[in-house]
Amino acid sequence: MSAIDALYIFDEHNNLILDHVYTGRPPPPSIVLPLYLQQSSPRPSVIHLPSLSPPTLVYSIVQDNILFIAPTCSATTEPLVVQEFLHRVADALEEFLGSPLLASKITASYDIVAQVVAEMADAGVICQTEANALRDVVETGPGVLKNLLGSIGASGTSPALQSGGSTGIGSSGLRPQIPQVQSSQGSAIPWRRSNVRHTSNELYVDLVENLSVTIAPSGRPLAAFANGSIAFTCKVSGVPDLMLNLSTGGKGAGMGTKGHQLRRVMERVVFHPCVRLSRWKSEGMISFVPPDGRFALCGYEVDLLGTETPLTAATSSKNSAASLGLPAAIEVNTGVGTNGADFEVRLSQPAGATSSATASLQSNLARPTGSFRAQTGGDSKAPALENMTVHVPIPAGVRNVSDLRPSKGEANFNPADGSVEWRVSGKDFGIGGAVLRCTVQGPISEDDEDTGGVLNGMTATTYDYDEDGGPSAYQSQNSDTNVEYGLTSGSANGTTARDKAERNRELMPTSATLSFSVKGSLASGLKVESLLVDTKKSRGIGPEIKPYKGVKYLTVSRKGVEVRC
Amino acid sequence: MESISRISSLLETARDLTLEAAQQAGPRRATKPLPAQQIKKLLDSRNEREVLDGLRRVIAMQYAKPAQPTLTFFPSVLKTLSNPYPSTRPLVYNYLIHHAEADPDTALLAINTIQKSLSDSNPRVRAMALKTMSGIRVPVISQIVSLAIKKGVSDLSPLVRKAAALACVKCVRLDPSARPQVEEYLAALLADKQYYVAGAAVQAFMEICPDRLDMIHPVYRRLCKMMVDMDEWGQLAILRLMTVYARKCFPRRTKTVKRAAQTQEQKAKDFYEDLEPAEADEDEYEDIEIVDPDLDLFLTSTKSLLQSRNSAVLIAVARAYLYLSPTKYLPQAIGPLIALLRSPQDIQQIALYNIVQVALHDPTLFVPYLRHFLLKTTEAPSIRTLKLEVLTLIFPHTDKESQAFILAELEHFSHAHDADLVREAVRAIGRCAQYSSALTSRRCLSLLLKQIHSPDENLVGESIEVVRHLIQRHPEDHRKTVVRLAKNLDSLTSPVARANVVWLVGEFAGQEPESDIAADVLRILVKGYAGESEAVKAQIVLLAARVYLHHLNRKNEKQKALDALNAPSEEQLKDSTPVFDYTDTDDNEGFREPQPSSPEPEAEPAQPIEHLYTHTLLLARYTPSYDLRDRARTYRALLANPASTELASLLLLAPKPVPQAPSPSQARKGFTLGSASLAVGEAMRGEEEIPEWVREGEEPDVRLRDDGVKEEYGSNKGVAASAGQRLDEALAADAGGKGVVEGARKEKTLDAWLDEEEESESDSEETESEEEEDESEYETESEEDEKAGLVR
Repeated sequence: MSAIDALYIFDEHNNLILDHVYTGRPPPPSIVLPLYLQQSSPRPSVIHLPSLSPPTLVYSIVQDNILFIAPTCSATTEPLVVQEFLHRVADALEEFLGSPLLASKITASYDIVAQVVAEMADAGVICQTEANALRDVVETGPGVLKNLLGSIGASGTSPALQSGGSTGIGSSGLRPQIPQVQSSQGSAIPWRRSNVRHTSNELYVDLVENLSVTIAPSGRPLAAFANGSIAFTCKVSGVPDLMLNLSTGGKGAGMGTKGHQLRRVMERVVFHPCVRLSRWKSEGMISFVPPDGRFALCGYEVDLLGTETPLTAATSSKNSAASLGLPAAIEVNTGVGTNGADFEVRLSQPAGATSSATASLQSNLARPTGSFRAQTGGDSKAPALENMTVHVPIPAGVRNVSDLRPSKGEANFNPADGSVEWRVSGKDFGIGGAVLRCTVQGPISEDDEDTGGVLNGMTATTYDYDEDGGPSAYQSQNSDTNVEYGLTSGSANGTTARDKAERNRELMPTSATLSFSVKGSLASGLKVESLLVDTKKSRGIGPEIKPYKGVKYLTVSRKGVEVRC
Repeated sequence: MESISRISSLLETARDLTLEAAQQAGPRRATKPLPAQQIKKLLDSRNEREVLDGLRRVIAMQYAKPAQPTLTFFPSVLKTLSNPYPSTRPLVYNYLIHHAEADPDTALLAINTIQKSLSDSNPRVRAMALKTMSGIRVPVISQIVSLAIKKGVSDLSPLVRKAAALACVKCVRLDPSARPQVEEYLAALLADKQYYVAGAAVQAFMEICPDRLDMIHPVYRRLCKMMVDMDEWGQLAILRLMTVYARKCFPRRTKTVKRAAQTQEQKAKDFYEDLEPAEADEDEYEDIEIVDPDLDLFLTSTKSLLQSRNSAVLIAVARAYLYLSPTKYLPQAIGPLIALLRSPQDIQQIALYNIVQVALHDPTLFVPYLRHFLLKTTEAPSIRTLKLEVLTLIFPHTDKESQAFILAELEHFSHAHDADLVREAVRAIGRCAQYSSALTSRRCLSLLLKQIHSPDENLVGESIEVVRHLIQRHPEDHRKTVVRLAKNLDSLTSPVARANVVWLVGEFAGQEPESDIAADVLRILVKGYAGESEAVKAQIVLLAARVYLHHLNRKNEKQKALDALNAPSEEQLKDSTPVFDYTDTDDNEGFREPQPSSPEPEAEPAQPIEHLYTHTLLLARYTPSYDLRDRARTYRALLANPASTELASLLLLAPKPVPQAPSPSQARKGFTLGSASLAVGEAMRGEEEIPEWVREGEEPDVRLRDDGVKEEYGSNKGVAASAGQRLDEALAADAGGKGVVEGARKEKTLDAWLDEEEESESDSEETESEEEEDESEYETESEEDEKAGLVR
């Protein structure tokens, strides 16, 4: 049912660096790879190869330029199972070999990779994918993980450091009591390795929100979502029981309990299996026993527009991107200039950022001072705007984009991927905003000289269609046409300018994307209120230990803000 | 959920993968290769460190590309098993599994040592030994493996029991004859109290004997309760198992409930009297599913899985809901499905196939999530296509505002620069028009007609193609549109568009003789025949044939009518026929050369249509394309005899079937949600479909599920049912379908029933009133303009 036949890993030049056969006789990598590469990029994640014997399904992911391929001959395997498995393999390898994952790291530690890969699926049946728990079983040898993780954890097979090993995790009701087991059996918690010990106890919470905003040509946001993730780093000895309290930062105040408010803001939440769902449902608290090290705790989604916002521009007073708390407003004007061959991208401070109404909504983003000046540091008091880049995809018909005139920053045209990239540093970007103006050049074949004859009869506008006209109108106009056939050559010169503009309109970009990152604030306004170690439920750490706690907020847009024009 | 490495890459702004970084970041340098002799020496050493080092080198050689021969080390590697160091074991086992097939005899030497490890005091060592032993692919040892599993099943440590469960799979693969034995072990493992053992057991069960549902009955309730705690892969297996199990063991029971508003009393009355056959109209009733309490147990316990980070689990839950309880539970799975849109692209794509599949089943569920399906220019084409499809699927079910929103979106992308995207967007507009009310469909049509003047040939061609389909659906409404399109022939440059318009004109040629423009269009087109592309030429020739055929038909009809009228004076009539013909058909008026209008006897040569026709055929005769020349010859032969046009009419004027543009994924509708077939788009061999519901009375006895559960889960609702009640149910089952319904309903209180009824009623009322509103709003023109201006 969930049989994975083999795992092939290729480096960035598509050289095979690892093949591991789990079961059966899957087609070898030398056969699978060319068939995979035959597909046009971007390649689908599932490819059916009926020509092979037996017919094979090839699943693939690319992470850090490394290609993971899992062929399977059984048709009953569900595609997402394999995809998830591949992602887990990549994550586990990263846990053991350090991030980012590099081909050279894999080739340098085949012994570890082989164990990890073999442990994760037993004869093709996926069985243990928790990277942290894998550390109990994988023999890494001396000193490999130490420098990576800064931990002095005894490797898993050594017995008995800690009595009991019970956790009391199920006390909240939903997850039943996990029975006490001997420590020699490893951890009782499937996702946490046993016998964790750290000299310095640290806890870090990173909240990252990835923006996905679509803005209509009028400047009205059509859709605005922030896809949030909470990455958690836990370096605490023993088995800590943690409680993470989030607050909405004023959003939705006065609507029910705190948990209720939180759930209104954080929609479609998914959790790492360690989180007790009942606590989240009842109190809006994230209560969990974390794995050791770094892991993704939670993923959520915030609708920045709110569900009530009308779909069409009816009456809304806040019908601009400003209400979203974006650090910059972007606007594209096409077809400007004498021949309509120019387009213009305008970056500006969002106009509404200083208004009191939005300030109260977006209290953390729109400071009373109103500006997003880049400042050193980037704590939550003064969010720092970085890496601001505008990408303008240029249609394939454009031969060249000449005359890039940015008022600030740097701009260049990249013919390979057909886009104009414009970088503006957060410091440069002041109150006045910035403008980039470019001229597009169409294909050579359509020369400026071609006037006259060809255009004859192309004056489509002479037909004024009238619904009620019927056949008689058609007839009368038809006679007009006959006349016109003889006459149009004279008026051809008048149409060239218009025609040129028309032709240039085809060469204009239809959208632009804005990328940036803002450190120190979240688009949704979420905040970490507290992170507590429940000393009663925790094991192996005394009440005297006060772990160091750190919180980081980051809002990023990776071409996520799209403006249409 | 995004994987941690992806989140990290967001946090670390520049994650350069340069060679420099690669060299620095490596935790340890690749070790220099040693000659085989030296490696052997390392392996034979007594120092743990050296042995480990030797093993590492062997493993590295085994995996290195190009592969290096490592089989020669087999004896030396096995010898290290006698060392007391546990740290070397994993590597040795890895080597053993890898090479056992190549040298089974040597591999057998290791069996003894591994068997000893099976009774080690450390459970991890025992588990690893069991895992390794079952992994050795040498069929001779299957009995030993089977015994080892037997021992593992009764092990105290759940780690070992889990390993035993997984070993079952390997044992059966190694030796299929061991299956009966292994099934026994599995039965014991399925009843394990430890959730991760049970999870692994279910995984093994699905691999070995997914049809032995009888093994599941006694553990059904317990498995449902343990599901939340299992790891994701166990959950996946159990979701798959239970979906099939439920279809085979719980007959689908529905109760017919009156839809219309009722007073409480009436409802109560209905409730008790519904054993009598329904008398009122079918429309007033609707079916409500009655969920078996055991099935309900499964469905409720899956609810908490909807917050899983694993996309496969989410899809599996959605699948269970879709096939088991599409009305009650499925809506809850929609939000989590939408959450999959934030996943990495590879998962997003597969998730979208599944979302489309659910949307095909019930598009209304996705209406609130309209905004999530807006297209992005940065997305892969396949994702955009799927999103467009969802948008068109929900289009007919949304309110006016949302429809305007979707149309604006589609219009925007019809101006994109990517030819494929333009095509998809324009077709999507066509689909929107197809499945919605006449007014909306007219809006879509006008949207498409606006594109005619676009300089983008591709867009124009696609638009006209779709317009043609729309016109063909309702030909009687669109006569004027055809005229309008024909007028545009002068300016249209796209060959596809021109060919389509010419075809349309031909199609509409004979319908209204008074306002027929076909002959006129033909006259104009023939002038520019030489300059047209081949597709258009073919259509022109076809048009000529059709026009001529209509002309002949009319002529013959009149002839007949006259024959009937003036039967006696036949001779005289024949002479005058052409005259009548010429004066009565006004469509010929326009393109006659200025001529004295006095009727001329024997006017045949002056008939312009015939001239046009012969002229066109002549042109076709000297066209380079042989296909076209062949066509022309066919038409000539068909129409050779002006008196008999029946055959030609059959061929050229055949009524065309109404073109359907189904949603592209309609072809995939038969595939199971979450399956590989769905993602690939073709049926896979060996894939199992979700079985049909078991028929009433054929399901296994409910009591089968009671066994062994009572002691541990005393509070279980299902078990709490008294013996008397069970007796009632059994009796009811004998009485037939309706009786069982009655029996099963006892689980629910009267109030619960009434609540359900009320809900459904108010729902249906709401939708009705909304529809009414929509219709009244549609009239104003200005609003439409506003919506159209949305994009600008």
